[in-house]
Amino acid sequence: MRAVLAEDLFLLRDGLVRLLEAHDFEIAAAVEDAPALLRALIEYHPDVAIVDVRLPPTLTDDGLRAALEARRQIPGLPVLVLSQYVEQLYARELLADQEGGVGYLLKDRVFNDDQFIDAIRTVAGGGTVMDPEVVAKLLGRRSRDEPMARLTAREREVLELMAEGRSNSAIAQRLFISEKAVGKHSTSIFAKLDLAPSTDDNRRVLAVLAFLNA
Amino acid sequence: MNLRAVERLIPTSPQAAIALVGEARETSSRALTELRDLVRGIYPPVLADRGLGDAIRALALDTALRTETDIELPGRLEAPVESACYFAVAEALANAVKHSGARLVQVRIRHSVSRPASRARLRAPRSPGLLRITVTDDGTGGADPARGSGLAGIERRLGTFDGILAVSSPPGGPTMIVMEVPCALSSPRTSSC
Repeated sequence: MRAVLAEDLFLLRDGLVRLLEAHDFEIAAAVEDAPALLRALIEYHPDVAIVDVRLPPTLTDDGLRAALEARRQIPGLPVLVLSQYVEQLYARELLADQEGGVGYLLKDRVFNDDQFIDAIRTVAGGGTVMDPEVVAKLLGRRSRDEPMARLTAREREVLELMAEGRSNSAIAQRLFISEKAVGKHSTSIFAKLDLAPSTDDNRRVLAVLAFLNA
Repeated sequence: MNLRAVERLIPTSPQAAIALVGEARETSSRALTELRDLVRGIYPPVLADRGLGDAIRALALDTALRTETDIELPGRLEAPVESACYFAVAEALANAVKHSGARLVQVRIRHSVSRPASRARLRAPRSPGLLRITVTDDGTGGADPARGSGLAGIERRLGTFDGILAVSSPPGGPTMIVMEVPCALSSPRTSSC
């Protein structure tokens, strides 16, 4: 799997390159600013990009904006965005094109390398991975909003874990239920959110999006 | 402290050491979360990155009440003004959540250059422009700057920049809070990507 990496801090960039190479990723480019990131994404069209939000030149949200621009030019280009803090606003911007293949995680998650590598693979496969902090913030509010109110407590739990990018088997393990039960819950979630039958991956993305927009 | 204990435990009881390391990791991740919240309380990152408009949009998303935004701000304000206005709106939203019993809050932000309100014009004859923020909720009303310390705090904060606060909140509602601050809008920050 070919990856492009954008991180301005040398040590962290170097560490990420090593980590990815240890997990059999091929690093097409490891860049340190937003213009170089955009060029690399367009030129190499990688299987996945791992991008720090905060990049030169302005050291604000240049990385995010470069990633969004690259996805405008190459729809669905898988991008995992890392940040010191998470904002629902940025999560929505990433999800807005409904193409999937996006992740948004706190930088701290890098240090749990199994989960981090899992997240990269999920994003590369077209899935969505939202940081548990984004998901947790959503729970604090608006649970009475339609159509989310139609979901049972259990279905909401399944949807939350789906938003964090967990697979059906991982969700089953977390909730101590069978994978078949997770499948049934997801079918019910899709129906209640009026998501027409399509590929399961695409409906997961749309369900997560509905959750974020609730 | 935990890490010191781990150092001691490693040779004798590695199992206990592993448990302690797990605990230490949790503590440090909790500390990071707290630090992040603290920073957000002093100078929110989105405010620094994107300016007042998107910072208020982000705030609306995090508010426990349904909050609609209608914001037109084609540029950035001076950082201290941005910050004062952000926390003023945050306070107004927090009041709405806590006291109003409202089901919907609306935040409207506009900046005008041509026709500043009369009071502002008196204070600043050649006004660089006027920022006007309106926070409206459909709650039960009864908000009073003379009684609530929150609204008085907003008034003080905005006063630093010659800004004013007006509250209309009859019993039974609705509550409308208007804030006006004379200030200039810079051209939008240009981006290289």
